[in-house]
Amino acid sequence: MKSDDEMKFFLKETEAVRDEIRRASNSVDWEALPGLIADKALAGPRRTEHVRRASGPWGWLWSLRLRPALAGLAAGLVVGAAAMYFVLRAPGGRPDAASAYHASGEFLDRAELEMARRGTLDYLEKSQYMLLDVFGSGEEGPVVPAAVRAERARDLLQRKKYLNGQLERFQMAKAKVLCDQIEVLFRELSDISEELSAAELARIKDLVEERQLLLKINLVKRELESGV
Amino acid sequence: MRKTILIAVIALVLGAAPLAAAGAPPEDQRTPDEALFREAKLLVFDKDWKGALDKIDELRGKFPASPWSGQALFYKGECLNSLGGRQREALRIYKEFIGLPAAPANLVEEAEGRIVDIAFDLYQEGEASALREIESRLGVASKVVSYYAAYKLSFVSDKKIAAKAAPVLKRIVETETDPELLDRARIALLRISPESLKSAEERAPRAVTTARTLHIRIRGAGRKEPVFSLNIPFALADLALSALDEDDKAAMRKKGYGVNKIMNELVRSKESILRIAGEDGTVFEIWID
Repeated sequence: MKSDDEMKFFLKETEAVRDEIRRASNSVDWEALPGLIADKALAGPRRTEHVRRASGPWGWLWSLRLRPALAGLAAGLVVGAAAMYFVLRAPGGRPDAASAYHASGEFLDRAELEMARRGTLDYLEKSQYMLLDVFGSGEEGPVVPAAVRAERARDLLQRKKYLNGQLERFQMAKAKVLCDQIEVLFRELSDISEELSAAELARIKDLVEERQLLLKINLVKRELESGV
Repeated sequence: MRKTILIAVIALVLGAAPLAAAGAPPEDQRTPDEALFREAKLLVFDKDWKGALDKIDELRGKFPASPWSGQALFYKGECLNSLGGRQREALRIYKEFIGLPAAPANLVEEAEGRIVDIAFDLYQEGEASALREIESRLGVASKVVSYYAAYKLSFVSDKKIAAKAAPVLKRIVETETDPELLDRARIALLRISPESLKSAEERAPRAVTTARTLHIRIRGAGRKEPVFSLNIPFALADLALSALDEDDKAAMRKKGYGVNKIMNELVRSKESILRIAGEDGTVFEIWID
């Protein structure tokens, strides 16, 4: 009996609540509700973040709404630093764009050695022609006029000056000795503008042949040509 | 007189005194000062510096007014310069010789060159003030002297001092036509001021051809960064290729590329890059622009 009474009471109270639920349900816009919930859900964290950033030492900048400018500045710094890195790297690192002259000291030394080799060869060849003209001609005498010969001798003396340091530096001893010997003759020839007599020339020719000066020139030339 | 001495000297130097004697005046016809000078010169040719110095001093002591006395001073400088440890004395003697009113022009230029060499040696031994002798010759009228002074100054390790040679070296590149002198000036400028060389090449009348730049890059196997990099005037291309490291030249030769072939291909291909792949993976890139 007691349970029947309790059931009747329960049903009566439920009926009262049902009316309240129905009224509340009618007041809800069910179609707009998902958007409203999403908005509220997102609005909460943004506010939190804003408050956190504004509280830092540079927070005042954010308050000035400089975010786009700051982002541009940061990007500029990154791009600029990268550009400077590429520009200031060693020349070897930017091979294709570089146009300025550059060469290592080691390479320049090798170039000097190559110049010494070529210069000595040239000096010996020209000396050979000069000696052949002065000392190697027959009784008719030298073809080259004495004044021209003196001028050429002076030119060869000047060249020898440049060679001296190189021959010593690169220890081209044999070539140095021969070039020194020839230099002595040229120093005299550079100061003589008179023609030598046929008899004098014949005698000198014999002497040059006896001492095999032209042969020595050929031997040293061959060594220099083969890079010995 | 000079001719006679020349013949006698050549004959004696070459070891055939009797033959020379046949063309030269007899000994008893020579004046004592001339005989002394001849003996001194022969000793110089034999590189007997001490003996030659004694003869020269005797000549100048006994015959101060001799016509050979002046020339003898030059040879005295030669002796002192070669004896070792007496370079400062040599420097003073060469200067004294240059100051003589009748000093022969050819020997004066030689003496100036010797002064430059001695000054450079003294600098290398630690006497920095000696460089003033070289610097003071940069502006002299004689091209022979100023060019040599500039060339020598370019070897000075103090780049600030070496750079003082740049204007003279630039003038050589811009105005001279002698190929050997030009190449020496170019190398010297590359050593002290590559940018000066660039501007000089561009200003020179022949700029159309020589202002072009030769580029060489050598990369090791699988390496992006070159182990060797070079940008120089195209005028030095032949020299540069010949002056490459022997191993590199050998690697290119193995692939059939000698200096001449590379030069021909560069000229023919104009601005395209010549790539040679060595057997060990080394890559040689050579081009001109």
